[in-house]
Amino acid sequence: MTDDELDPVIHVPARLRIMVTLATLPEGDDLSFTRLQDVIGLTPGNLITHLRKLEDAQYLTTVKAGRGVTARTSVSITRRGRSALEHYTAVVRDLLGSVSPERLPD
Amino acid sequence: MSEEQGRTTETDQEMGSDIQRAATILRQASEHARQQLTYRYPVLFTTWGLMYLLGYGVLWLSVLGQHPYVGPTSMALLSLTLIVAAAMAITVVLIGRAVSGIGGASARQRRVCALASLVGFAGLFTLEAALAHAGASFAVLGVYGAAAPLLLTGVFCALGAAIAQNWTALALGVWLVAVAAGSGFGGPVTVWAVDALASSAGFLAVAVVRLRQRRDR
Repeated sequence: MTDDELDPVIHVPARLRIMVTLATLPEGDDLSFTRLQDVIGLTPGNLITHLRKLEDAQYLTTVKAGRGVTARTSVSITRRGRSALEHYTAVVRDLLGSVSPERLPD
Repeated sequence: MSEEQGRTTETDQEMGSDIQRAATILRQASEHARQQLTYRYPVLFTTWGLMYLLGYGVLWLSVLGQHPYVGPTSMALLSLTLIVAAAMAITVVLIGRAVSGIGGASARQRRVCALASLVGFAGLFTLEAALAHAGASFAVLGVYGAAAPLLLTGVFCALGAAIAQNWTALALGVWLVAVAAGSGFGGPVTVWAVDALASSAGFLAVAVVRLRQRRDR
């Protein structure tokens, strides 16, 4: 495997954290935007930007429910997203094994 | 080394640190998400183990030496109530923190489990009242009062473990049912002591196992 196989959509620290967090939940579960923001530690604007990129890639879905005070936005990872994250993790693991020690920075 | 070889080495180093950073994020984000979004089972099992040890222990001390057996004292029952209330409060807070913001299938499952537990224990205590009404002796009520809640807890534990396919919790459920079913043969005084010690040992053992599993990940 080469680093060309690293998914550029996921290979951004914030988006990687988002994907990993959502993948912790079992299939069928979703996480509110507020809780996700709390866990990841991003500002709302920043989080929305990254969520849009991931949603465009069909790695996650966002659902808005309710109105006014009771409005809730929830986010969940799709099967495509889980699969993409699994592949990304496999590529990283493989590349870690193939990069020889003397080439790693101190 | 030629200029081109130098650039290649520098690019490989950048790639190496980039991959290392990705691996670090994968590991740290995964651990952080697990800590934030899953139950703290070692703390929960320890809480329930202490609840049975202290709660049943207080009741046992209150009936120790009773001849004939007439049942726990009001103070002991009040102490049990406070101990159970404290354990339930800790449980609600810990679970609430973990599942805050999580919706979907698991949320629905939790609501069904909570309702089943309430109905189950309500039925259990109603049956105890029916037994008393039917003229059951203090000794029979004593055995039932100690063993029945533990047996129901064991059944719920085993069922939940079967759904989650968690073999440690399944073993605990089976253990609790066996303890509850067998301890009654010791009579209304011994049943409190056996249930207190054996059930708390089971819960604390599972707490240790879950803690080790968490550390080994």
